[in-house]
Amino acid sequence: MPATNLLQGTLDLLILKALALTEMHGLAISHRIAQMTGGTFQVKPGSLFPALHRMEEAGWLSAAWGESENNRRARFYRLTAAGRRQLKSETEQWETIALAIASALQAS
Amino acid sequence: MPVLSRLASFGRNLFARPRVERDLDDELHACLDELTDEKRRGGMSAPDALRAAGIDFGGMEQVKEEVRQVRSGRMLEEFLQDLRHGARTLLKNPAFAVVAVLALALGIGANTAMFSVAYGILLRPLPYADADRLAVVYMRYFPRDFAFGTMCMRDYLMWKDNNHAFQNPSLFQSLRMDIGGHEGVPEQVQGAKVTAGFFSTLGVPALIGRTLAADEDRPTAASLALLSESIWRRRFGASSAVLGQTILVNGSPATVIGVMPTALRFPRRDTEVWTNLTLVPPTRYGPWFYRGVARLNPGVAMQQAQSELNHIGLRMMQQNPFYKRLTLAVLGLRDAVLGVTLKPAILVLAGAVGLVLLIAVVNVANLMLARATVREREMALRLSLGASRGRLVRQLLTESVLLGLMGGAAGLALAWGGIELIRVWNPGDLPLIDSVRLDGAALAFMVFLSMLTGILFGLAPARESARAELNATIKEGGRSAAASRARRRVRSALVVAEIAVSLMLLVGAGLLLRSFVKLQGVSGGFTVAPERILTILISPGNRKYNDTTAGLAFYQEVLRHARSVPGVEAAALTDSLPPDRQGDADTFAIEGQTLSPGDIDPIISDVTADPEFFHALGIPLLKGRSFSSHDTQDAAPVAIVSEGFVRRFLNNQQPIGKRIRQSGPGFGNNWLEIVGVVGNVKYLGLTVDTDPAYYMPFAQNYGARMFLVVRSSGDATRLAPALRREIQSIDPGITLAQVSTMQQALQVSVSQPRFDTMLLALFAGIALLLAAVGIYGLIAYSVAQRTHEIGVRMALGADRAAVVRMVVRQGATLAAIGIVLGLAGAFGLTRLLRTMLFGIDVTDPWTFLSAPAAILIVVLLATFLPALRSTRISPVVALRYE
Repeated sequence: MPATNLLQGTLDLLILKALALTEMHGLAISHRIAQMTGGTFQVKPGSLFPALHRMEEAGWLSAAWGESENNRRARFYRLTAAGRRQLKSETEQWETIALAIASALQAS
Repeated sequence: MPVLSRLASFGRNLFARPRVERDLDDELHACLDELTDEKRRGGMSAPDALRAAGIDFGGMEQVKEEVRQVRSGRMLEEFLQDLRHGARTLLKNPAFAVVAVLALALGIGANTAMFSVAYGILLRPLPYADADRLAVVYMRYFPRDFAFGTMCMRDYLMWKDNNHAFQNPSLFQSLRMDIGGHEGVPEQVQGAKVTAGFFSTLGVPALIGRTLAADEDRPTAASLALLSESIWRRRFGASSAVLGQTILVNGSPATVIGVMPTALRFPRRDTEVWTNLTLVPPTRYGPWFYRGVARLNPGVAMQQAQSELNHIGLRMMQQNPFYKRLTLAVLGLRDAVLGVTLKPAILVLAGAVGLVLLIAVVNVANLMLARATVREREMALRLSLGASRGRLVRQLLTESVLLGLMGGAAGLALAWGGIELIRVWNPGDLPLIDSVRLDGAALAFMVFLSMLTGILFGLAPARESARAELNATIKEGGRSAAASRARRRVRSALVVAEIAVSLMLLVGAGLLLRSFVKLQGVSGGFTVAPERILTILISPGNRKYNDTTAGLAFYQEVLRHARSVPGVEAAALTDSLPPDRQGDADTFAIEGQTLSPGDIDPIISDVTADPEFFHALGIPLLKGRSFSSHDTQDAAPVAIVSEGFVRRFLNNQQPIGKRIRQSGPGFGNNWLEIVGVVGNVKYLGLTVDTDPAYYMPFAQNYGARMFLVVRSSGDATRLAPALRREIQSIDPGITLAQVSTMQQALQVSVSQPRFDTMLLALFAGIALLLAAVGIYGLIAYSVAQRTHEIGVRMALGADRAAVVRMVVRQGATLAAIGIVLGLAGAFGLTRLLRTMLFGIDVTDPWTFLSAPAAILIVVLLATFLPALRSTRISPVVALRYE
């Protein structure tokens, strides 16, 4: 299945959403995104990790070392308060845009 | 907080780099392992799983680099990387680095020093409140033709009555003052008499005590004195008890009311005592001792003030027919303090030093271009490994700016030394030299200049390197013929520019040098060697010597004591001395010559001298007799005139027996009979062309303050202590001042031309040195590059002489082009020197011939060394050289 090219803003939103319920490590985030989007978005490490580090530096995520489900050391990411606010505002923004584009496409 | 988190990661990225990198490595490997595990759980064999996971994951290093790219502080990190790389590259090639840093240090150092001088003298705000609004007012009129001359009290009162442009015009007079009293040995210092508004006009408050009150220039006001901080420390031990104390100023008591801070350096830099000038209502015109200083009223421009003064000047002329062509000139305070000659000189020197920097920059650019050839392969390799061209340019620029800053830092040391040198060269002569220092402004200038030069000499080579043709460069083993030919053309053009610019500087320096030599060769008009003449200004101090009889007796004693000192061959008295310590100048009339209408009596130097004066200095007596002991107060008044006087005013007629008189207002009908003619003496300075003068005998024209002139059998400086002792044994209250040999006086009188000449010569020397290094570098490099070709030529039978000719011709061609361009530039630029030259024209042929010759010699020398080396190339070695 061909992976759709991700727009940067979309990737950020998807990562924030993936982490909304629980903390996760990188690979799990990638799986979670694929699962949430029904396989439409396959995030490669080359895009995922730069995004995670960028968002961590922006203060939306915090990271800590922990144990994975397979007893491996892994770096776990979780949303900060700023990240939650960001998720909320990006969601609203996305809904506005999606609605606008949908109605534009439906117009005859 | 997002900002805090960004700052924290910025700090981590910069300072905890190894940990950040290790974390990244761990995280990515953990992810890869996790992925591999998943594949194996899906049923793959271990090697297959590893491979599949690797493919899914992508390149480990690429992912890492992607992460690094988004980190904050990335730009800074890259910059530091470039810096480290640049420093390493420079260290790897220390010869290049040393030559480049030295060249830049010379250029930037000279410029920083010159900037400090120009800034301190021309730009730094004067230490007076709102100094732009301050102006000095001069009077110029004929016959006393001084451009920035003085006015008398009547003129001042008229100005004050009609003034609207200025607040409270004040008057001042600069003069030497003998300071004596209980506090110590009398000494002569620079002083000023000023009216009450002087200090409030300048807006300088007293350090201790007070300044003059508004009514303290009335005729009835008590005599008051203000001291400078320097004399207060020197003579009064910086004690506040000085306030209210009485000191002797020129023999009269005055009460000290205040001490002024060092910041006050007006009317002169070395003024140490200010006394109150009392405005006694004048009964006649004269004496013309005063200049005005005033603050412009708010909203009045300098030009408006000037036009008001023009009107006042016209009225002054109408009221007094003695004044012809009178103008009142107003100058801003800074221009007044600087005088008219210094500013153009400093601007010329600043321009010249800018050219020196240009040469240094060209030189380093040339070195960089040569290195660019060597580094072509490095650049090509980095490009092919994926570095962007912009990134390469940035890296090379970082390197050259680093080089520029290193040069600037070294230059700062040079600048500091240069400024100290300028201070030593100019003991007290340059006004405002105290405000010349290396400070924040100079430092900022240096850093700016360093970065600018770094970019200037780095940009072209950097762009060129980054444009490298990948394929050609790597394939041809680092020698792309077309590129290197283009580069050689650029380098040749740069060397031509260097030669042209240094020729312009050399011509300028040559002109000043020639002019200075001429100036030094000017005779002061006396034949005795200047180092054998000692002069001392004697101020008797005690007012009883103002009486002619007592004074003459006193000076007879002075001469008797002076002649008793061993080594003294002759001793004489005068009130004027060459080269520029003239005493009086006034109008005169010749009996039987009437002025045509509209004409005016000329003003010339009038000198009071005793009979020994001409003999002591060796001024030749051309006709008639010298003064003698018979020309006493009671004898018939006589005069001696100079050769120039006879030529200019007597049409070369027989002068002996003709009569002249001083003709200014206030002089009676006192005719003097001319009894002799002497040679011309330069009383108005060495540069003044004709200086006619007339002399009156001391006994018939007594003045209390006289120069003692002593001719010694050897070095005159050794006589000073003995003479001082002898004269003070007559009366300990006598003030002795300005003790110096004629040699020293001549040196001081040419100190500004000497300053200009030495600086410009220094700059031209640096320029020439840099140009020589530049052309040597170019030729040596081109010989090295052509080793192969030269080897072939020699193998085919070219002899050594032919090879030398070929190499030298290359240098000579560049020199010829540079010289032609440089001469054209010099013809245009040396016009700026016109006011600084004496005795030669700006197109002086001697200079315009010898400067190119000097350049040619230097260029040929710089070419000859590599040419000689080329002949030692053995064909066998050369052909194997690849």
